[in-house]
Order: sequence, then structure tokens, then C-alpha cells
Amino acid sequence: MSDKLKEVINQQAQKQQADTLDQSDDIVQLVGFMIGDEEYAVPILAIQEIIKPFEWTRVPQVPNYVLGVFNLRGSVIPLIDLRVKFGLQQKKQTDETRFIVLKKNDEVAGFVIDRLTMALRIKKDNIGPAPDTVNGDETMIEGVGKQEDRIITILKVDKLLERDF
Amino acid sequence: MDEFQEILQDFLVESFELVEKLDEDLIELESNPEDLELLNGIFRVAHTIKGASSFLNFDVLTHLTHHMEDVLNKARHGELVITPDIMDVILESIDLMKALLETIRDTGADAGIDVSECVVRLDKISGGDGNVETPVAVAEPQEEVQEEAAEETVEDEDELDYENMSPEEIEAEIERLLTQRQEEDRKKREAKIAAGEKVPSLDSDSTSEEPKEEKKEPEAAKPAPTPAPTQPAPAKAKSQAKKEEPKAAAPTKRSSASNVEQTIRVDVKRLDHLMNLIGELVLAKNRLIKINDDVEERYEGEEFLEELNQVVSIVSIVTTDLQIAVMKTRMLPIGKVFNKFPRMIRDLSRELNKKIELEISGEDTELDKSIVEEIGDPLVHIIRNSCDHGIEEPEVRLAAGKPETGTIKLKAYNEGNHIIIQVDDDGKGLDAEALKAKALEKGLISEKEADGMSEKEAFLLIMRPGFSTAAKVTNVSGRGVGMDVVKTNIEKVNGIIEVDSVKGKGSSMKLKIPLTLAIIQALLVGVQEENYAIPLASVLETVRISKDEIYTVEGRSVMRLREDVLSLVHIGDIFEVERILDTSEHAYVVVLGLGTSKLGLIVDTLVGQEEIVIKSLGDYLKGVDGIAGATIRGDGGVTLIVDVVALMDIARGVKSTVMMEAEAGAAKTNEKNSPSDYTVMIVDDSSTDRMIMRKALEPMGITLVEASDGQEALHILKSGDHNFDAMLIDIEMPRMDGYSLASEIKKYNRYKNLPLIAVTSRSSKSDRMRGVESGMVEYITKPYSADYLSSVVQRNIKFKSEFMS
Repeated sequence: MSDKLKEVINQQAQKQQADTLDQSDDIVQLVGFMIGDEEYAVPILAIQEIIKPFEWTRVPQVPNYVLGVFNLRGSVIPLIDLRVKFGLQQKKQTDETRFIVLKKNDEVAGFVIDRLTMALRIKKDNIGPAPDTVNGDETMIEGVGKQEDRIITILKVDKLLERDF
Repeated sequence: MDEFQEILQDFLVESFELVEKLDEDLIELESNPEDLELLNGIFRVAHTIKGASSFLNFDVLTHLTHHMEDVLNKARHGELVITPDIMDVILESIDLMKALLETIRDTGADAGIDVSECVVRLDKISGGDGNVETPVAVAEPQEEVQEEAAEETVEDEDELDYENMSPEEIEAEIERLLTQRQEEDRKKREAKIAAGEKVPSLDSDSTSEEPKEEKKEPEAAKPAPTPAPTQPAPAKAKSQAKKEEPKAAAPTKRSSASNVEQTIRVDVKRLDHLMNLIGELVLAKNRLIKINDDVEERYEGEEFLEELNQVVSIVSIVTTDLQIAVMKTRMLPIGKVFNKFPRMIRDLSRELNKKIELEISGEDTELDKSIVEEIGDPLVHIIRNSCDHGIEEPEVRLAAGKPETGTIKLKAYNEGNHIIIQVDDDGKGLDAEALKAKALEKGLISEKEADGMSEKEAFLLIMRPGFSTAAKVTNVSGRGVGMDVVKTNIEKVNGIIEVDSVKGKGSSMKLKIPLTLAIIQALLVGVQEENYAIPLASVLETVRISKDEIYTVEGRSVMRLREDVLSLVHIGDIFEVERILDTSEHAYVVVLGLGTSKLGLIVDTLVGQEEIVIKSLGDYLKGVDGIAGATIRGDGGVTLIVDVVALMDIARGVKSTVMMEAEAGAAKTNEKNSPSDYTVMIVDDSSTDRMIMRKALEPMGITLVEASDGQEALHILKSGDHNFDAMLIDIEMPRMDGYSLASEIKKYNRYKNLPLIAVTSRSSKSDRMRGVESGMVEYITKPYSADYLSSVVQRNIKFKSEFMS
């Protein structure tokens, strides 16, 4: 019995090792999502959770892309509409709408996205810098990932979580 | 090392506490110099600190306390009467002690502060007066004491650079110190014995406790002139220290054995954590109550309901009790803050050459720790202010027929969920007119404001930044900063300040402070679909008024509330709430009070009172004007908490629009990018007529929506699916005619500016008049040409010229 157990543990350990190899520096794991017609992604480690939309409370005197605050298991968390933030028209929420809750250090915020696409693994080599046309340090774009026939814009989590008003 | 740090921490905490108490006790001692028990208490403190600091090798501190102890010891034994001058020196040494403790806290060592001067003065007192009382000791000890003082001053300087010494040097130094210490001890023993003879009652106490030591003592001490043998001396020193403690402790045991409290030190972080957990529990409780209500409604009469009810009420009672209990653990008696004032008043009265007495009451009143920390500074400012500006010079007081000594009363008491801290003085009081004049001169208020100001409002002027009536800036006050600090700090803890005064009789300042910060009582109000929580502490009353009671004065809404005129602001104007339905004839006004300023906040509904837990909005949203935080309600939703202070500021800026609030709705009309973005509704019961209008307007390319009568039109409008730019309305229709439709529509704020165009065969003047009355902007009589209709519509919907074909 214990031999078997050891074997299983060994196997698991090996598998984990294999995993860590895969996750080694040159691969970035991302979660992709759609806003309007474009695909964006954020690093998977920055995501605290992804939830179905529910009610929120409007907060006055904030830019229109800040929808308000919502209750995430007892914490009051701001909710930001990425469509509006990216200059698109607000649209009604559908079955595919999700809130992505991002966390970096102590900053937490929820972001409304149109639709999730998939979890991605992109080699670092396949990630190019943000296009020069985007203005300098202020850019929210970390880089542009290429995979097969798609181009995915990778967003900077700390910029997203930064208050800019 | 860690262990040492731990001990050090304990030592510091204890010492600071003791020193704080020392201050207070000494002031009391000054007015009551015969109080032996008090003296013993003070002596004990000095002794405890001395003992601990010598154990921890803080030599400077030990040195200082040692000499302090000498003086106190003399006083304790009745050899010395504490005069104000002596007290000054003692207080000075306590200040030095505090400074030393702070240095230790910051640097871990007690270097850098020169205590020698103070020590010399202490010695003069103990040596000099002792001499008078005990001639047996002759001049010799006095000289020696002074010598010793000088010696020790030098030694102090040496102590500072122990670290630079070589091991040999240190060895030599230790040797030297040891002999010195022995010498000291010998002398002290002599003094002890002399003292012991004088106060036999105390000694007998210690004899019973440590008879062995006591026996040894006289033996060694009797041959006083011959130097004590070197070997047993250190042991003696120890025994002496031991002996002193029981001796000192004895009186307290007798007097306050019943007061001995069992306490445990707890890290504040743990308490904070506990408080947070309670907050969660309160939220869960609220939720449970709500669910219980829902269940009750659905399963009325079922048996299990009773049981559920019981459980819910038990949970809610226990939660409330628990909350109170935890809150109590965070409570500190306000005496902790009050303690420093006797000393402050004493110093101030000497500095200002006034005679001032401080009466403290209610120091046992308890407050949340975080609040206690916040109110210390404001109170200092208020009391300084009272001393400097309130209480007059003794001559002035006598001339005014008042007792020479001014009195400042500092009291604290509970009032509901609040604690009131009141500072009264019997000084010259505030002069409302003078205050106004000064504020005008400084440009803080306008002439008009000054005229409209009540006396109480004028008193509050002293809280404005930059305001000072003091003719000259003194050491104490007059810079016009202090009272502003008071205001900001008190408002930070959601407190309210009231100032009252009778000219010539005195003034009184009242601080009304909530017991705790984390959980508050709030009034929940509704505006449209949104709810807001207003801290109940700031709510004076709520009134229901009809809309005709609202008047507009200079573009501001006001109402009459009994004798006063109350300015009004709609909560929706402050929080940018889009108002769609506003049909009710009545409104609720929540009267907010902050000090003497009042404001009426118009809301749509009053939801009720609830206990809420304040949560921060986090870094991302912090500092939103008018919002103090958020709370989670029983249904899991988030409700924002109104920041009353900020709200009052905002309200001043809002050009009130209770009556003409339609602007917002009109401004909402979306950007028009193509002709089809324009939407016009056609309301006519005849389908032929609708067809004719449609044919006339279709060429413009605008979107058309049809309704066959007033009811349907209203329904379409309310559904909000379209954003109408204009409506064409037939007058004669079944169910609801055009006039009623128009007046119905105009009840909605949002549609106040929606152009309504009557299209009718009625053409008499009275019909037209009626149309205008009900809110129609144009009146088209049938028959009409297609061009005319489209031009009227184009004009009313502000059709962009580039879309015209």
C-alpha cells in the first residue's frame, strides 16, 4: 500500500516538475477576453477570480468608466467598465459578460469584459513591445502577443488598477 | 537580544504609563502637600523606574531617578516641604525623564541628554533641606552629596563613550564605579536609618516582612564613620532595594487593595482584527434578519416560524452584546487624555501670570482608543485657548467682581451613543460682534454673511483657519491655527463642535463625539432607485413637506422650518442621480446639523434606521466628494455612506435646482450622428392621420414611433426604449386626450424639455391656450402641408442642417 502511495506521490512530483519546466520563464500564461472586436489578455496570476455579473452600486462624481462598487464576499470593490475605458459605447450585459477581478499588491478591482476567450500560453519570444504610437509610460499595453493567426494585446495590470482621475 | 528587546519594550510601556501618572500626582501633591499616600505613590514610581533602568543599564536614567528619589524620600519622611520652587525642579526632572525614555525608545540607549544640571539642583534640595531638619548629619553629608553630584556629572560624560574604551579602561571604570556605589550606599543607609527613626510606622512594616535584612542593616550601618567593608556592600545594596519596595508598597496595599485590577496587555492589532470580525458578524446578522422577514411573509402561520424567530432574535441580541463587549475592550478612560492637563494648566498659569484652577470630572468616561488618540490635540488647543483668551488677568477679574482665580471645568459624560467633552471657563466670554468684525477685516466672510449670522454661528468663526482675535501672538496662542486643528480633528472622528458663550461670564465648548468609528447608526434614504446612508449623529430631524413649501431665493431653494429659513439641496443634485420619475407631491427633508450650520437634504423616501459597518472604498475610489465610505446591507448590496461635512461644502456650491432640474435630463440627449438618431413619436387615434404624418416626415430619415392614444404613448415613453426628441400629439383621442397626455408627460422631470407639438383640427384661441397650459410648444392645425409639418418638427428637434437633403 505504502509502496503504491509512494509511487503515486513520485509520479505527481514528476508531473509537477514537468509543469514547472513548462512554466519556465519563457512562457507566459494569460487569460484572453474580448472587448468590442479586439482580443486582450492579462497575466493569469494577476487574476483573483472571474465571476458572472451581478448588481453594483453607482458611485457619484467619478469618470463614466467607473460603474461603481460591488460586494465581493464582504469586501467593497470598485467596478470598471473596460468598454467605456477604451472609448467604446457602453452596451447591455449579455450572458457572456463577466467581471474579472484583478489583484496586485493590495489593490483589487473588478473589470467588466464582453466575453472570455481562453487561457493562453505564449512564449516570451512571441510577445512584441507595445506599438510606438501608444503614448510612452502612460500606456496600458504591456505588449502584443502573437499566436497562430491572432494578435492579442496584453494589458498592464498595475496600470489598470491605478486610479487615473 | 530578542529577549532583551522584549524586556525593553515592557519597560518602556510601563515607564511611560508611570510617568504620565507622575505628572498628575505631582500636581495634586502641590495643592495637597501633606498627602503621604500620594507622596508614597510618587516615590514608588520613581523607584520602580530607577530599579528597572539600572537593571537594563540605562545609567543616565538611573542616575536621574536616583536623585529624584532622594528628594522625594526626604519629602516622604517629612524632612522636606514641597514648595512650588521645589516642584518646578521635580517637574523639570520628570520632563528630562520623559525625554530620556523617548531617546531610549528611539535609539535604544539613553545617551545624548545632559541631566547633570538638574541633578545638581535636585541634590541641593535634598541636601540643603535635609540639613535643616537633621542636624545630626552635620555639614559633612551635605558636602559629600554635592561632591558626589559633581563627580557623577563627570561620570556621566564618561558613560557616553563607553563604547570607545578599551577593555582595560572599562575594567578600571567598573572598579571605580563599584567603590563609588558602595560609598553611595553607605550614605544612603545612613539617611535611611535617620529616616527610619523618624517614621517608625513605616519601618515596622518592613521589619515584619523582611526581618533578616533589617537586622543586618543596622549592624552594618552603625559604625557609620568607618567605611563599610567592601565585600558585603553590593549585597547590601540589593537588600536595601528589596527593603524599600515592600516599604513603599505597604501603604497602597492598605488603601487600595480593593482597586487591584487584573489586566492583560493585548496587541491593538488583535483587537482591531476582532473588531473587523464583529463587523462581518453584524452584516451577517442584518442579512439574517432580512431573510427572516422574507420567510415570515411567505410562510405566514407555519409552526417553524416561531422557532426561527427565536433563533434570529437570540443571534441578534448576542451579536449586539458581543459587539458592545468587544467595543469595550477597545475603550480607554478619557482620563488618559485629561491627565496631562493639570500640568499644562499649572505651567500656563505661571507663564501667563494668571490664576487658573482646573476642575476635572468624568475622567472615567470611556472612549474608543482610536478616538482617544484623536482628541488629545484638540483638547490641548481648546484649553490653551481658554487660558490665554478666556481667563482674564487677576486684577481684571477682581475689578469685574469675579474671584481672582479663574476656573476651567473639563468634563466628560455620556449622552446616548455619544460622549460629550465640555470645556467651560468663567473668563471674559466671546463677543459675537467683535468676532464678526474681525472676520470681516480678515476677509473670511462677506458683509452680507456677517449680517445674516446668528450669535452661535459667529462663535464658530473662531474655528476658521487664519482667524485670531489675539492682539499679539503669544507663546501660547494667537496664530490662528489651533482652533482650526480642533475642527478638523473632531470632524475626522465624525464629531460635532458647539460653542456657547455669555459675554463677560465665560464660554463653553462642547465636543460631541461618537463612541466608536467602525459601526454606526445610520438613516437610510432613497432617491430614485438608489439608497444612501446618512450617519444618524448628524441628523437633527426629518420632515415631510409638500413641494409648494419650497421657495427659491437667489437661485437657491429654501424652506421655512418653524422660525428658521433652511436652505435645501436635493440629494440627487449632489450625487448626480438621474431623476426620471418625480410625480409625488411630497418630499422628505432630512435636516442635517453640523455644529450650528444646518442643511435640508431633500430625498425621495426614508428607508429606515440601521446599524451599519463602515467599509472603506479602497484606494481606487477614496476621496470621492461627499462619500465617506460604503456598507454592505442585509441583501448583500452596497450602500454608500454620506460624508455630511463634505456634503455641506458641496451644497454651498450647488446652484440649487429643485425647481428647474430638467436641465440634466435634456442634456442627456445623445449625440446625433445620422438622421435616424432622431426619434419622434406620433400620437393619433386615426391611422390615416398617422399615415399622413409619417409620409410627411419619412423623407427626413428620422425614426418614427406610433401610438394610438395617450395611454399607449405614455407607456412607450416610460419603457425608455427610445429617446424621443419630439412628440406630435393629436388632441382628441379616446382614453386619454392630448391635453392630459401633455400634462402627464410634463410631470416627468426628464421630459420637461421634450417638445410637444399639438396637431389638431381645433383651432379656437381657447384651445390654443389650453394647449400652452398643458405644455405644448407648437400648435399645428389640420389640414397642413407636409413641408410645414416637417419644418416645424425640424425646428423643434434641432435637426442638424448637414442631414437635410
